[in-house]
Amino acid sequence: MSEDLKIVGLLCNWCCYGGADTAGTARMQYPPNVRIIRVMCSGRINPSMIFKAFEEGADGVFVGGCHIGDCHYDAGNYKWSRRAKIVQDIIEEFGIEKDRFRFEWISASEGEKFQKTMDEFYKTLQKLGPLTLE
Amino acid sequence: MTYVLAKSKNSEIHEAGECGGAVTSIFKYLLDENLVDGVLTLSPGDDIYDGVPTFIADSEDLISTAGSYHCAPTMFGDLIQKYLSDKKIAVAVKPCDMRSIDELIKRHKINPENIYTVGLNCGGTVSPITGRKMIDLFYEIDPDDVVSEEIDKGQFIVELKDGSKKGVKIHDLEQEGYGRRNNCQRCDIKIPRKANIACGNWGASEGWTFVEINDEKGEELIKGAQKAGLLETKSPSQDAIDARSKVEGIMIKLSKKTQDAIYDKVNAMEEWNRCIRCYACRDVCPICWCHENCEINKSYFDESQIPPKPIAFQGIRLSHMSFSCIDCGQCDDVCPMDIPVSLIFDKLQKKYSNRTGYIAGVSDDIKPPLYSPAKEEL
Repeated sequence: MSEDLKIVGLLCNWCCYGGADTAGTARMQYPPNVRIIRVMCSGRINPSMIFKAFEEGADGVFVGGCHIGDCHYDAGNYKWSRRAKIVQDIIEEFGIEKDRFRFEWISASEGEKFQKTMDEFYKTLQKLGPLTLE
Repeated sequence: MTYVLAKSKNSEIHEAGECGGAVTSIFKYLLDENLVDGVLTLSPGDDIYDGVPTFIADSEDLISTAGSYHCAPTMFGDLIQKYLSDKKIAVAVKPCDMRSIDELIKRHKINPENIYTVGLNCGGTVSPITGRKMIDLFYEIDPDDVVSEEIDKGQFIVELKDGSKKGVKIHDLEQEGYGRRNNCQRCDIKIPRKANIACGNWGASEGWTFVEINDEKGEELIKGAQKAGLLETKSPSQDAIDARSKVEGIMIKLSKKTQDAIYDKVNAMEEWNRCIRCYACRDVCPICWCHENCEINKSYFDESQIPPKPIAFQGIRLSHMSFSCIDCGQCDDVCPMDIPVSLIFDKLQKKYSNRTGYIAGVSDDIKPPLYSPAKEEL
């Protein structure tokens, strides 16, 4: 059942979490499948956290950070962007489709972008179906 | 970059060493002049399929270490990091040893001031078990009768007690699943250009060693050994230089062919599921040095299931060091479940270098770009 798709969303405190908040206060509808975990910066996310999420049964993992140049800690999102590409490289070697992992830059004012991204991501995952790891 | 041909002036070393004993002479010079505390090299073990890493402090003992050891695939990087980091040493290195040393220098685990590196060109190593089996099968010789082995002109050649030699083409051996280790068949770094000097027999005439001098320290080594009366040198002809680069070119081309054939198969492989979480690959890896603080042992991963899901064990290791994988194949050798571990690490390093241009242990960047604080997306 696609209602059961689990999405783990790791959102940066200063931008994307604010974006999700904006979407919420403006009562924008987006899929309730996303479980949001707030982190202080996308630069503190290790690839291992993404793998842990997949291992524990997430069907998709989303990471949201500040736009490049807007990082509250100066360069955290640059670091994350480099790591994100390694994550993409690794998951596809272990039979997890590349599209199950997504990262996006969303600012605190972009509630609409957050809503749109979640909708899109949910639709992609619906197509892929639940993830089975051996 | 300059080239010289060198051979030992010491008759004893000249006899014992491979192609003129230039490497052993350089070590003798370093020990005699007290420029180093000791030399890390291989000495013979039980038979020719065995080599024991030995730290030699007396130049009298050097003679026993001369010669080549294709069937002893050792790794010096982590030995130096663990046991010899406070000593001034000289070390004979294969390209992968040199790459591991370079990666550990970048991680501040080896002090480049303390180390002289004498590189050895390498066409590949053979696992001792495979070596024994293939000598029995393809050469029809009792493996214990072999007194020495060498790799020359695409052949693996063994010499018997009575002086007779027999060679079989490495290509034929590898078609049947024998021959060089899998990672060596893929390896495209054949000359350790990060070492002070790189020595080998490619392009050299009989009894001489072809030396490529890579930096000032290397220049000092050759000049010093010459002055001490241990080394005889001459400059190589253009033909010799061309012949050498031709050999290198052919080897790299063959490796690339192997890479193209195997990399595409990685994501369909099921071997990764065999992992039993024994940590042997991590413990032997020359790049992985922070065992006490290893991510896999953090409480949130340590409690995950046994056997682990590949993404939760190999995935974490990959994300931590695959961009620095030097493809030394130690993880393949120790894996009790015979998982071709190095294959996936090597493939990811290739992916990484295609994107960023960073080749582990070869590129001159101060750090792998993943560690850099620079404000750039790669």
